[in-house]
Amino acid sequence: MSDWKLMVRQLVKNPLSLAGIIIIVIFAFIAIFAPLIAPTPEGHRDPYMIPRDGYSATPRPPSEEHIFGTTEGQYDIFYGVIWGTRSAFHVGLVVIGIVLVTGIVLGSLAGYFGGLVDEIIMRITDIFLAFPPLILAMAIVAAMGPSLKSVMIALTVVSWPSYARLIRGDILQVREEDYIEASRGIGASNFRVIIRHALPNAIYPTLVMASLDIGAIVLAAAALSFLGLGAPEGYADWGQLTSFARNWIVGSSTNPLKYWFAVTIPGLFILFFVMGWNLLGDAFRDILDPRLARR
Amino acid sequence: MKDLIRIRDLAVRFYTYEGIVHAIDDLDLDIRQGETLGIVGETGSGKSMTALAILRLVPYPGRIESGSIVFFDKALGRELELLKLREGRMRAIRGNKISMVFQEPGAALNPVFTIGDQISEVYLLHRRQELGHRAKQRVDSLLKDGTGLAAGMRKPFWRWQHRLYNKIAQESNPVEPRLLSRLPLFRRLLWRLRDEANLLTVDILKDVEIPDPARVAAHYPHELSGGMKQRAVIAMALACSPELLIADEPTTSLDVTIQAQMLELFRRIKVDKGASVLFVTHNLGVAAEICDRVAVMYAGRLCEVAGVEEIFLHPLHPYTKALLDAVPMPGKELQTIPGVLADALNPPPGCRFHPRCPSALPMCQQERAKLKEVSKNHMVACHLF
Amino acid sequence: MELRSYIIRRLLLLIPVLFGVTVFIFGITMLFSPIERVSLYVTDARQFTNIPALIETYGLDQPFFVQYGNWISQVFSGNLGWSRVVGMPVWDAIWHFLPTTLELAMFATPIIILMGIFLGTQAAAHKDRPLDHGTRVMAIFGWSLPTFWLGLILLMVFYGYFRGLLPPSRLSVPMELVVHSADFIRYTHINTIDAILNLNGAVFLDALRHLVLPVITLTVVQVAFIMRLMRSSMLESLGKGYVLTARAKGLAERVVINKHARRNALIPVITVGGYLFAAMVNGVVITETIFTFKGIGWWAWQAAVRLDIASVLGFALFNAVLFVLVNLVVDILYTRVDPRVRLGGVMQ
Repeated sequence: MSDWKLMVRQLVKNPLSLAGIIIIVIFAFIAIFAPLIAPTPEGHRDPYMIPRDGYSATPRPPSEEHIFGTTEGQYDIFYGVIWGTRSAFHVGLVVIGIVLVTGIVLGSLAGYFGGLVDEIIMRITDIFLAFPPLILAMAIVAAMGPSLKSVMIALTVVSWPSYARLIRGDILQVREEDYIEASRGIGASNFRVIIRHALPNAIYPTLVMASLDIGAIVLAAAALSFLGLGAPEGYADWGQLTSFARNWIVGSSTNPLKYWFAVTIPGLFILFFVMGWNLLGDAFRDILDPRLARR
Repeated sequence: MKDLIRIRDLAVRFYTYEGIVHAIDDLDLDIRQGETLGIVGETGSGKSMTALAILRLVPYPGRIESGSIVFFDKALGRELELLKLREGRMRAIRGNKISMVFQEPGAALNPVFTIGDQISEVYLLHRRQELGHRAKQRVDSLLKDGTGLAAGMRKPFWRWQHRLYNKIAQESNPVEPRLLSRLPLFRRLLWRLRDEANLLTVDILKDVEIPDPARVAAHYPHELSGGMKQRAVIAMALACSPELLIADEPTTSLDVTIQAQMLELFRRIKVDKGASVLFVTHNLGVAAEICDRVAVMYAGRLCEVAGVEEIFLHPLHPYTKALLDAVPMPGKELQTIPGVLADALNPPPGCRFHPRCPSALPMCQQERAKLKEVSKNHMVACHLF
Repeated sequence: MELRSYIIRRLLLLIPVLFGVTVFIFGITMLFSPIERVSLYVTDARQFTNIPALIETYGLDQPFFVQYGNWISQVFSGNLGWSRVVGMPVWDAIWHFLPTTLELAMFATPIIILMGIFLGTQAAAHKDRPLDHGTRVMAIFGWSLPTFWLGLILLMVFYGYFRGLLPPSRLSVPMELVVHSADFIRYTHINTIDAILNLNGAVFLDALRHLVLPVITLTVVQVAFIMRLMRSSMLESLGKGYVLTARAKGLAERVVINKHARRNALIPVITVGGYLFAAMVNGVVITETIFTFKGIGWWAWQAAVRLDIASVLGFALFNAVLFVLVNLVVDILYTRVDPRVRLGGVMQ
């Protein structure tokens, strides 16, 4: 356990990872207190649909009423990005959760038992990995109809093979260690050996790295929503919000940057969210490699 | 005869996350011409670091803090203060006048290059002029011969080649060939240098008793056995006939039978090449086999230095005695040295060995002893003398 | 010869994987109704007038494996169906849109590889110094950038603010006319190459101008990735024994890094080459969409949004096959670079 304390201390000392932690904490705060920060107007049924102030297509700049302005269709950007934080966490955590469980189960089975089980599982992952992820996600979403749910399913389907492989690799490494033989020597069942001995030692690093991939998941989900394959129009989702800005990249001839807020703000939220996780992930990677950690 | 290497007051410190480690402290050591000096000690005694310090290869976060290492360059007939040399001049010495053999031959060889390439590299680096000279001679003989000329190649081309290699042979840093070697495609025009280097490589491989050296040179490190790899590494170190060969535990990773062959090789090198050898090891048996003099180190400091027979028959320093006692012998009860190895971050004050020393005096806690010559060629750093 | 048998072995192993891929893709199509699936088999728009007959002909209400058999035989005869969104057979659509994407990839790939390797090596060689920290922050920033957002911002600045300095689309209108005129022969349909072959400097420069922003968008994320990978690979390589040996031989630091350490460090980076390809395809879809470059990425997006399954699946299949082949090439490259993989055994 003191290993963890040392790790935490190192994370806090490193300015980059500290910045990452702070960013993530801020976003978590925003997500949790979204109803307070950007209250849903009276009578509005689904808090995740952004309230509209009119129906005009032209975005309006930041003002007292709309702190970040409104985007095409008069959707309030501030409301959108605040509740979008919730969507982001939702998508990220669900996908990562399912992917990890699937990856752990299949990866451990493949790594521990080897032989035919391993071959079959590996061939299956090969098939999944033969697709560039976005394409497969697109195909799945196209087949199931665009919605945030299909995005989550698509991303889960696309991501689990890599983790299964990683866990399998870890198990393979650990399998040869003496303590595995020792525990089998005293008669522990296979299941027990995997759960109590192989898994904990092998997978802590992978677990950690995987959870930090939540940034990449959210990025992919945003891309799909931007392309119109994800959240429905008007849903509080960062990618969705950004897609509204496509037509407003160039403002008027006198003021080309007139609608900067519609483009920049949702994107910045995505950028910082993902950056927070990546900063943390990067620092973790350095720590887990003992040679690079000290000195 | 002048000493080949004279180390005085050498201090090497490591600035780590946890604190400052005194890897080497106040070291005075001489290596004489033509002798094989062994440095013996446990892990952390500073013996490997001494070897690296001579070549100024102490890795980060270590630094050579202070002291002096004087090298007597036989060819130049001059003494050089190694710690003050410019890096460029130091590089001219590494691999050339002073070279090193490391512990793990498998790790020391680059897996993506052939054995021959890695050894030729040394010749191309340090013996360029000689290679140029030889190439020129070959071109000359081709010109005279007339029959060796490739079809379609005209005389001016060969004359230009001759001029090129002549330049390399004469000048120390000729312009035209140097430019050529930088341009990727034109580099091939200097292929004769590589050919000559390869010939020299085969010769040196023969010297270290590698069978069928031409074939071995074309192979990659992973295709060779441990013993062959170590021989190749030794060949690489001996390529330029260095004046000092440093061997850092060269036999430790090999099995015993190969070890014996390796020691035999070292003995032959001593005789044939006349180089001095600095032999770092933790194995007293190996040291006894091959060294002329032995130095014993503990926790970064020198304890005792004497001729090999003297130190094994009449050890003076308590640590040396304890080491010799600890060697397992059939019928004898296993002796260990009580206590724990000195903490590198917080070494004991005064003499570093005093907490474990059976004959420790009160002053050993306060003051460390200086190296003193107790009998002929036998020096000890201990308050008992 | 070892290498040949290795290649043959790998190609043979591809077959079950490709089989699985096609089954998987086909499985996705079963999520659609038979009426929609008709477009997978059609080669001409007029055939759509008689859908019930088509369903009958292609057995679209038959069990899975029968349908799969039908479909696969179709695929092998080059019929991937009809692309509704662009009004041409899928197979034709692929070859029609491919040159555009190739043009992007042609410029982006060398930049990504060279910059990534160079920056990664430098970061490792100057570890913990300002250059290392700087590149690390840059890499994390680049890696976190949403590609689509970067594209939009770039357009906003360089097209909007700088009044059309670097515009979207492949060519400006006048140049489009030139390219489609009788005097200009489109050998490859890749504008830059065609411009050179036609000795037309104006078209060449115009095409380049339009390529700047998309290529930047495409490369930023990948460079960050390759750079980090190269850095950690180099650091591992620099810690190895042969680096110390190289220094002990008296080699200059530059040679030690570039010759000895880097060659070994490249090995893991090469194996990742396949993933680079996948990431490129990802980036291409988004980039082409934003900059209106009508390449296969753009086509795939149109198809996905408008639920043109024949196109989406044709694209997916095309990609999968390409991806598998790329991995094969990468594997072979890997054996060339790392002699330990190529040759085995110990000699005495």
